[in-house]
Amino acid sequence: MNREEAPGKSPEEMYIQQKVRVLLMLKKMGSNLTPSEEAFLRNYAGVVHTQMSQLPQHPIDQGAEDVVMAFSRSETEDRRQ
Amino acid sequence: MMSMQMSETESSVKVAEWQQTYYASDSGIQSGATTVRDDEESEYSKKHTVSSATVVESSSEVDAQYTLTRAQRVRAAMFPETLVEGEAVLSTTQSEPGQQTNVQRLAEPSQLLKTAIVHLINYQDDADLATRAVPELTKLLADDDQVVVNKAAMIVNQLTRKEASRRVLMQSPQMVAAIVRAMQSTSDMETARATASVLHSLSHQREGLLAIFKSGGIPALVRMLSSPMESVLFYAITTLHNLLLHQEGAKMAVRLADGLQRMVPLLKKSNPKFLAITTDCLQLLSYGNQESKLIILANGGPESLVYIMRNYNYEKLLWTTSRVLKVLSVCPSNKPAIVDAGGMQALGQHLTGSSQRLIQNSLWTLRNLSDAATKQEGLDGLLQILVSQLGSDDVNMLTCATGILSNLTCNNARNKALVTQCGGVEALIHAVLRAGEKEDVAEPAVCALRHLTSRHPDAELAQNAVRLHYGIPAIVKLLGQPHYWPIVKATIGLIRNLALCPANQAPLREAGAIPRLVNLLLKAHQDTQRHASSAQQTYQDGVRMEEIVEGCTGALHILARDPINRGEIASMQTIPLFVQLLYSYVENVKRVAAGVLCELALDKQSAEMIDAEGASAPLMELLHSTNEGIATYAAAVLFRISEDKSSDYRKRVSVELTHSLFKHDPAAWELAHTSVPLEAGYMADELDGAYPPYGYADIPMDGLPLDADLHEAYMPDMGYDPRQGYPEPL
Repeated sequence: MNREEAPGKSPEEMYIQQKVRVLLMLKKMGSNLTPSEEAFLRNYAGVVHTQMSQLPQHPIDQGAEDVVMAFSRSETEDRRQ
Repeated sequence: MMSMQMSETESSVKVAEWQQTYYASDSGIQSGATTVRDDEESEYSKKHTVSSATVVESSSEVDAQYTLTRAQRVRAAMFPETLVEGEAVLSTTQSEPGQQTNVQRLAEPSQLLKTAIVHLINYQDDADLATRAVPELTKLLADDDQVVVNKAAMIVNQLTRKEASRRVLMQSPQMVAAIVRAMQSTSDMETARATASVLHSLSHQREGLLAIFKSGGIPALVRMLSSPMESVLFYAITTLHNLLLHQEGAKMAVRLADGLQRMVPLLKKSNPKFLAITTDCLQLLSYGNQESKLIILANGGPESLVYIMRNYNYEKLLWTTSRVLKVLSVCPSNKPAIVDAGGMQALGQHLTGSSQRLIQNSLWTLRNLSDAATKQEGLDGLLQILVSQLGSDDVNMLTCATGILSNLTCNNARNKALVTQCGGVEALIHAVLRAGEKEDVAEPAVCALRHLTSRHPDAELAQNAVRLHYGIPAIVKLLGQPHYWPIVKATIGLIRNLALCPANQAPLREAGAIPRLVNLLLKAHQDTQRHASSAQQTYQDGVRMEEIVEGCTGALHILARDPINRGEIASMQTIPLFVQLLYSYVENVKRVAAGVLCELALDKQSAEMIDAEGASAPLMELLHSTNEGIATYAAAVLFRISEDKSSDYRKRVSVELTHSLFKHDPAAWELAHTSVPLEAGYMADELDGAYPPYGYADIPMDGLPLDADLHEAYMPDMGYDPRQGYPEPL
């Protein structure tokens, strides 16, 4: 959550800003929003526009990372042909 | 200087016997007959002249002989053909016909010996003569005169051509030791070649190997690996090869003699057969011996071996080299060096030929190397071949192909896209179906599918391809009993990725994924709780049950995006467990638990159940998480469960949210506290009237008056009117 807003913003403004951010983050992470949540975002389209550029660019929730399998733990017996 | 020790009587008998076979006269070796000048001498001399072509011709230059050294005179007597031009021919200095010189008398035993050996060569069954020849030859091999040594060596080399005489040689430790000494101390190339050839001949029998080994032959042969003569090199490496193959203790001796340090540079030679033997030696020395592998690495072995794989066609050489690479590929230090030298690409060249043994060795080596090759470029061809090999019925090939693909698609978007585009998904599904209970095939195949279905531009293509190739039922079945946990874990991850594709949600549900995941989650969670008191973590087949808990919850989180699925998930009494998981010490578990609750909370009934389970408290804590995903899910759940709450509750939530939001901005927090009359000015009750019922009513939920102005873009300078009270959270 963006906690580094310029001083001077009212609590209400801050709140709306942060709520927009939470909802945008949810969307970014692929989650669903309720219709009323979608409406909230439409109501504060300006804030949405500002917040969009401030969302983290890296993927937030992509599940577990790929992990290699170690196959060379032991030496296999070699059959001479 | 060694010589056969015989008793006088024995010697006399032997000489008598010898005389009876070929010679009628007494050489004087025992009787001293030739030391006396008499008619017998003449007779002897004549006879000697007749029977041998090597008697020195008489010369009238009496004085010349006295100026030659003793060695020169011996040499002239024995090997007249080696006399240097300008040297006087040694004369018999016979002032009278028939008279023998002292030198001739001395040279006679050797002359006889030489003649005897020539006869021996023509009579291969006569081992006795060889036995007699051996002591003398042994002595001659240690002579100060290099020419003498050279000739003796060449005679011994001749003797090794015949089995009977060869056997006699190898039974004489002194002879073998003399050969070894001569070989390593000579500066004459021909002597080196002849002696190396002798040892090579002897190395074809066990007895000979033992004799070489016991005589210190190994350090000497290792030294010969530095010879500039190709023939010496060949004899030395082949003899060492025979020793390594058949002589106990040889490996240790070669290692101690720094054999590896001498052999690795030989990999730069260009004779394929020589290289085949050399690489086989390296394999014999390094199999199971970590120190040897490190020595090979330190001497540039990986680069040279990869070069061979890339540039030669001789099958046997490619096979032996692939075996060395296979041995080195289990060494953590050699592995990255082989990969960096282009080993993956080089081995990948040999997967489609006619040599099955080469293909299989290359595959095993590639598999071993693959976890160090995830960032390698230029593997497109290899990947395509591996995808085609997924159609094989050979279980070894399948094991390797799936394993290599699994690792090469790990965190590599380019490789993932390529494998997806060339039909890898379908091929992997078929491999899973054919694998049955073969975990070495099934596990990497499922892992590969898991990699292909996330974190690259074509992930969606792969997710759809699994469904289109009828993979979903087979994959869900892998969650069933009996549980091999690594496969179960990989499958759970794959299902989670498949659920990212909306078109897969219904097929997954229909295949029974949800109840299987829920049951696995319950089982794993119970297991972790049972061991919670002890510090020990539970592992089953090398998998921690916490990983299963996380995986299942994560998969259910994504499945819950579908409304029917989330109803099914909630109906299985999972909410209490998910709420409990919010308390987990594992951050990932907290994240997926908050995530699934966030989806479930979209349904009002579920939201109420979540609240009833006391989720608010842990969720409030999670608002402060440094993990933005966790904080986001927690906030969303709180928004959704506070819809029907009392104003006090909503106020508390908003305060907590603000508190967490302003955590790093004390000035703003201060401002919020002073300018917002949280108690008196909070007109929640008033706003209740305007607060619509929870659900999907299509009106703004912010609680502010429905003023047309407010539908416009938010204006930062609008200002806050304290009379309006704090905006209602959704």
